[in-house]
Amino acid sequence: MCFLKKTTARISQLLFLALFLLLFIQTEYRGHDQINAAVNAFFRADPLVLVSYLLAAKTWSWLLLPALLMILATLLLGRFFCGWICPLGTLLDLLTPKQRSTRPITWLSGNMKYWLLLPLLFASLFNLNLAGLLDPIAILLRGLTFFLYPLMGLTAREGWVELYSLIGEQRDAIAPAYNLLKQYLLPFRETLYPLSFFSAALLIGIILLERLETRAWCRHLCPLGTLLGWLGRFSPFKRLPVGLCADCGQCRALCPTTFDQGVLNREECILCMECQQGCPHQRISFRPSSKLQPAGPLLPQRRLLLGGMAGGLLLAVPARFRQPEQVWPLRPPGVQDENAFLKKCVRCGECMKVCLKNALYPAAWQSGWEGLYTPLVIPRLGYCEYNCTLCGQVCPTGAIPNLAVEQKKREVIGKAVFDRDHCLPFARKMDCIVCEEHCPIPEKAIRSREVQVLGLDGVMTTVKEPYIVEEICNGCGICEYVCPVETRAGIRVYGVKDRRPIKQAVSGQLLHQIEKLPY
Amino acid sequence: MDRRTFLKSTGAAALLAPVLVQELLAAPAGPVVAVAEGRDYPAITRRVITAVGGMGRYVKPGDTVVVKPNIGWDRSPEQAANTHPAVVRAVVEECLAAGAKRVKVFDYTCNDPRRCYLNSGIEQALKGLKKVECKQIEMERFKMIALNGQFLKEWELYDEALAADVFINLPIAKHHGLSRLTLGLKNIMGVMGGNRGFTHRNLATALADVNSRLKSHLTIIDATRILTAHGPQGGNLADVKVLNTVIASADIVAADAYATTLFGLKPADIAVTVAAHKRGLGEMDLKRIRVVRV
Repeated sequence: MCFLKKTTARISQLLFLALFLLLFIQTEYRGHDQINAAVNAFFRADPLVLVSYLLAAKTWSWLLLPALLMILATLLLGRFFCGWICPLGTLLDLLTPKQRSTRPITWLSGNMKYWLLLPLLFASLFNLNLAGLLDPIAILLRGLTFFLYPLMGLTAREGWVELYSLIGEQRDAIAPAYNLLKQYLLPFRETLYPLSFFSAALLIGIILLERLETRAWCRHLCPLGTLLGWLGRFSPFKRLPVGLCADCGQCRALCPTTFDQGVLNREECILCMECQQGCPHQRISFRPSSKLQPAGPLLPQRRLLLGGMAGGLLLAVPARFRQPEQVWPLRPPGVQDENAFLKKCVRCGECMKVCLKNALYPAAWQSGWEGLYTPLVIPRLGYCEYNCTLCGQVCPTGAIPNLAVEQKKREVIGKAVFDRDHCLPFARKMDCIVCEEHCPIPEKAIRSREVQVLGLDGVMTTVKEPYIVEEICNGCGICEYVCPVETRAGIRVYGVKDRRPIKQAVSGQLLHQIEKLPY
Repeated sequence: MDRRTFLKSTGAAALLAPVLVQELLAAPAGPVVAVAEGRDYPAITRRVITAVGGMGRYVKPGDTVVVKPNIGWDRSPEQAANTHPAVVRAVVEECLAAGAKRVKVFDYTCNDPRRCYLNSGIEQALKGLKKVECKQIEMERFKMIALNGQFLKEWELYDEALAADVFINLPIAKHHGLSRLTLGLKNIMGVMGGNRGFTHRNLATALADVNSRLKSHLTIIDATRILTAHGPQGGNLADVKVLNTVIASADIVAADAYATTLFGLKPADIAVTVAAHKRGLGEMDLKRIRVVRV
């Protein structure tokens, strides 16, 4: 698509892509406890997110009101989202080679898009919301979060570090410039993520498809585009004339999506207005009309519906299997019910992007197949910062609830347990209690007591032995994170079924109760 | 110069600078620990600095000074986990007044550095001061240093702390689960890199090892409010005691020893203090320390 002509639609595309990237960068702690604008705005306006949420969670969420408005706008105007807003679509347009070949990819055309959309929606209905896996904005965001952004940060950081080894303290002369970049553009901490290769490959694969056919992903695969296309067919606005003119046929070359068959398929028209702009005869208009415009059947064939349902069941049921240690994974703070969480999580990766101490990582297999890309706390790599509430703030669907800080501090992620074969005071009879030092609970969920033990040298010695006050442990994981034992920590956070918040800790009343506990 | 003029000028100097004489007389009696109490934290900070000879005694014009407060935790000033920002600022201003070329303020934090620098109030308190930088730690600046200590043979220390002309140790006095109290000697951990938790297995010796290598020219202990339990992080205001006190000494062990008494403990109760004293890093005998209340 030619970006030299600055038509309204192209400007809109560029603005939304810029907005997307800006919000992406803003989805990070930059000195404020509250993030007012985050990239979740795009997901909250995403009809696929809304529909799968409604099917799976079977409740309404006001967070997703913008997506409802988007559905209404699509019903009125058609599939304009793809040609005016979608950042992935814009990216594809920007990366399309000038000498594009528009030969349609035959093996992708036809019902393939329904074979993707319908099983996703049926799986949602059967309580497994996988829509985020193929949502175009989620694919883009994950590619950025898990691959490109860390790559960018690492490149900058390593250059900066290299500079120090070259010129030492003199580097300070240009530090203000680097700090400016650091403050406004680069990630604070470069994190390596699991699934980063897979995330990048999916995004790059979609971009490479573009080499074979323009907007191939959008036409043949994208479940959001398919849904919008289906909704758009109810729009009273039509492109006139509805087909190619006998004397011209320029549209075939101008249209990025649908004219390769000689007729305009409404479901695939993304209202990019390229045909109108490029028409040598100024014949083309988009306006309300009662003229029939060719489109596929209103409902896909019964075979497809049944197949989609079967596919949904096939996804939803066997994917449920989990190993025993996967049943209660460590979820972000405030997630109390694993099943409710899976119904709402978009797997967009925002919580992992924003996580202050990089405690959150996408699950590959750790919570079963159904949990692919959902956020997991891995305390040995990063802990949940006591006073931070960012993940709940950026979650587009409220799968991670947005909690006030006092509430969040009491939310239980898991419970810490000592591994006496690793923990130094037990295993090697020496002092340590780094875990107690770092425990952020004001009353200390990890404490220690002096005990007389037989040292490894056979001499009686006094050691501070730590213990856990389970009633007030919120499983933040800082103990596991800082444990100075190498590789496998001497204390670990385990998932628990009962994630009810710990009792109010501010009154001092709890302290009183805890002191009386028989430890 | 003949003997007569020499005597005259010495006498005049003695008359003009009684403080000097005082110090000369006091010298055999052990180190001076200055203690000031008051609600005006910058003022009491300045008073103790004056009482230990004034900042000019430690900082010469053109010096690069490192001021090392405790910024370890994502806690607010009233929670008494970090050095009070008003005290930090007063110390930094004194360094500037003494002619420091550059004053660097930093700590290797335990919680997220952004949150610690912000919520401790220290970053904000130093904002706008010229020749002052309040930077977060950069990992590449840690250098492996041979300590040849009794426990630590070598350890990573922060290059800016090593390169500074003057190192001012500015801890807050608070409870600590392992060492009972954390004061000046323990505050040195903030310039240590690597797996710091490792040192806990022999903390007192490890801290004596590091303090032998990286000497604090001046130790100023913030006891404006102290954390009496559940340290070093605290979080419960019930554990905070407001003392409105600042302590200063050129002798880090003496400063720590005196601060110990604020908690109702004896210097000998704190293994870190004892180990440092045995290592010859300073005086812990309260009878040999001259406490100057100003």
